[in-house]
Amino acid sequence: MRIATAQYQAMMNASLAKNQTRITELTEQMANGNRIQVPSDDPVDSVRISRLKREEAAIDQYRDNIAAVKQRMTKNEGYLTNMVNDMGSGRDLLVWASDGSNAPDDLNAMVTSLNALRDSLMYTANSVDQEGRTIFSGTVTNTKPIAYNATAPVGSRYSYVGNTNDQTVVVGNGITQVANQNVKGLEKLLNQLDQTIATLSAPGVSPNDPAVRTVLSNNLDGFDSAMDLLSGKIAVLGGQQNILNTIDANHENVSLSNKMAITNIGQLDVGAAAIELNGYSTALQASYKAYSKIGNLSLFAAL
Amino acid sequence: MSILNNALSGAIASQAALASSSQNIANLQTKGYTRQAALLNAVAPASGSNQAGNGVIVSSLLRFSDNYKTQQLWRTASDLGAHSQTQPYLTQLETVMGNDDANLSGGIDKFFAALNAVAGVDPTSTPLRQQVVTAAGLLSQRFNSLNNVYNAQLQSVRQQRVAIVDSANSSIAAIATLNARIANANATGSNASSLIDQRDQAIDSLSSQMALEVSDQPDGTRNVSLKSGQSLVLGGVAGKLAVSGGAAQTFSLTFAGTTFDLDVTGAGGQLGGLSSYEKNTLLPMQANVAEMAKQIADKVNAQLALGKTMANNPGKPLFVYTPGSTSNMLQVASGYQTDDLAFSADGTPGDTGNLQKLVDIKNQPITITGLGSVLLSDADTQLVGKLAVDSQQNKGALDTYTTMRQQAEADWQSTSGVNQDEEAVNLVEYQNMYQANMKVMSVANALFDATLAMMG
Repeated sequence: MRIATAQYQAMMNASLAKNQTRITELTEQMANGNRIQVPSDDPVDSVRISRLKREEAAIDQYRDNIAAVKQRMTKNEGYLTNMVNDMGSGRDLLVWASDGSNAPDDLNAMVTSLNALRDSLMYTANSVDQEGRTIFSGTVTNTKPIAYNATAPVGSRYSYVGNTNDQTVVVGNGITQVANQNVKGLEKLLNQLDQTIATLSAPGVSPNDPAVRTVLSNNLDGFDSAMDLLSGKIAVLGGQQNILNTIDANHENVSLSNKMAITNIGQLDVGAAAIELNGYSTALQASYKAYSKIGNLSLFAAL
Repeated sequence: MSILNNALSGAIASQAALASSSQNIANLQTKGYTRQAALLNAVAPASGSNQAGNGVIVSSLLRFSDNYKTQQLWRTASDLGAHSQTQPYLTQLETVMGNDDANLSGGIDKFFAALNAVAGVDPTSTPLRQQVVTAAGLLSQRFNSLNNVYNAQLQSVRQQRVAIVDSANSSIAAIATLNARIANANATGSNASSLIDQRDQAIDSLSSQMALEVSDQPDGTRNVSLKSGQSLVLGGVAGKLAVSGGAAQTFSLTFAGTTFDLDVTGAGGQLGGLSSYEKNTLLPMQANVAEMAKQIADKVNAQLALGKTMANNPGKPLFVYTPGSTSNMLQVASGYQTDDLAFSADGTPGDTGNLQKLVDIKNQPITITGLGSVLLSDADTQLVGKLAVDSQQNKGALDTYTTMRQQAEADWQSTSGVNQDEEAVNLVEYQNMYQANMKVMSVANALFDATLAMMG
């Protein structure tokens, strides 16, 4: 084929442009480590990566939720454990009070401790978090769960005004966990405590008086059932946290495999890229050499 | 005496050949220049069997051109033009839509993550509720920025088409004028080669803008028409393209007093490529993103209306969707406060019933024209996937047509391009020929002198 002078120039330009384009592309890929610079580099794989990233975003959120819920549960567990411990010491006091050898003064003296215990239980049950939301009122988080009505007769002054609804949190695709707590049932113990305090504060109160004994033994039963109630909640919290740990571990595994898939699909094979880059730069250098030799070739130079 | 005349004709012929070589060398780098050579023919003797002949004559100036190769050049210019102008637009779109910091998927993820975070800690937590409103604003911004990119591209495509029409009109006018001059030159026997080169260059530039049919006429002119048949140039008569309208441009062609409407999406070349990109990629994509924005706004607002705020009031709409708005397609309702978010299903502040349903919107199907029913969380991924395939196809076609155009240029050069070594040989050889003829003259002269001396 006849080759025109301009044809050689055009071929040279095209070859330089092609090599330089590929070198630029490879340098870009190596700079950010991504095989796919724009989706059209590999439409199918970029869709796969995008879907994996969507799933990763969801899993990240689930894992954040699990961490937050676990924190709340640990805190709730702490409050409940405190209350159970307080109740234990109150129960001991009542067992002592039930001892028939106690003098009325001894019983009167116990009232101060019982008062403190009653108020402490109510205070803990009405605990609020940093934003002022109550912790133990079910979903009525703007209301203190234990209400006190001074005008009501002793034994019915305390009432539970929260609810027992669950606040659910999504911790996985289709998996929810209950994150809130309530102390319905505690008001009964408080009323009994109130009753006991009223009874024991009476001057000359005798532990052998059958009426006093009834109040004390009811209150002892009340302590037992309230301790059962709260211990049960603590046990459930422990179980929930174990489940959350398992779910979190599952999420972690899925997330790891997603991340590996994203890396496998999207990451540049640096070794192959380096070899390719080397090839193109060699080709480019060869083109330069060829042009510098052949570009000077002209019959006119010999004439 | 014929020796002297023969030598003279040889000297003149070699001068003509040297002249065409010099013209070729002068135009070594001229784009579209077609090389020429003097066509030499021996002149037969007038009579008698003992006569060698009456020297040489430059019967014509030969123009090295192959009409098939020239046509091929124009055809590949149209194919290349149709794909080269759209690629920058496609690349820009997929870069924006594929970027994790700007794409819709990321914004949707963040909005639903903010909702989920509220559910994780407490539905009444003010900072977390604020984060939902903020994430909604950022999501809206992503939609609006993308919509702005579409609008900027539409505007740019339209401006580019106006520029193409202007430049095409000047090419069309140039072709007609050159046609007339070529016909004239041919009629008067002048060399039309450089005029033909100019005209063919004008056709080449026009063919990159739209696909053409070019037919040769006996008088040396070329008639140019669109693929769809409408004439652009007939001999020395030029048509005129016109574009009118702002957002929806219409195109027309006026030829010899008659005006036709043109559908430019099938026109080929840059004009057709840009128009089909606008019609088949850009506008549908913009409509799809608007559909997404509308359905997100509708679904979130509808679900919020079903819920109760912390104060046990019905929820207020979070998003405002304004169809057709350039930069405020999706917005957070002005004055929206964290208290207006209705996460509770039963009116108690700590309930998350409605919040769970809001979170679930991410996994609900929405309807996107061209994709059908897709999950909200997957809609953007599928749109970008579709765009990526379009872009990949265009890149592939662009590579193919670039190679074909280069091949067509090489083919054309192979016939019509100047080779400097060839011209160097020609220079030397014709110079030799000239000198040889001069020698013949001196021989003829010597013979003449000898004859005169004998007479003397």
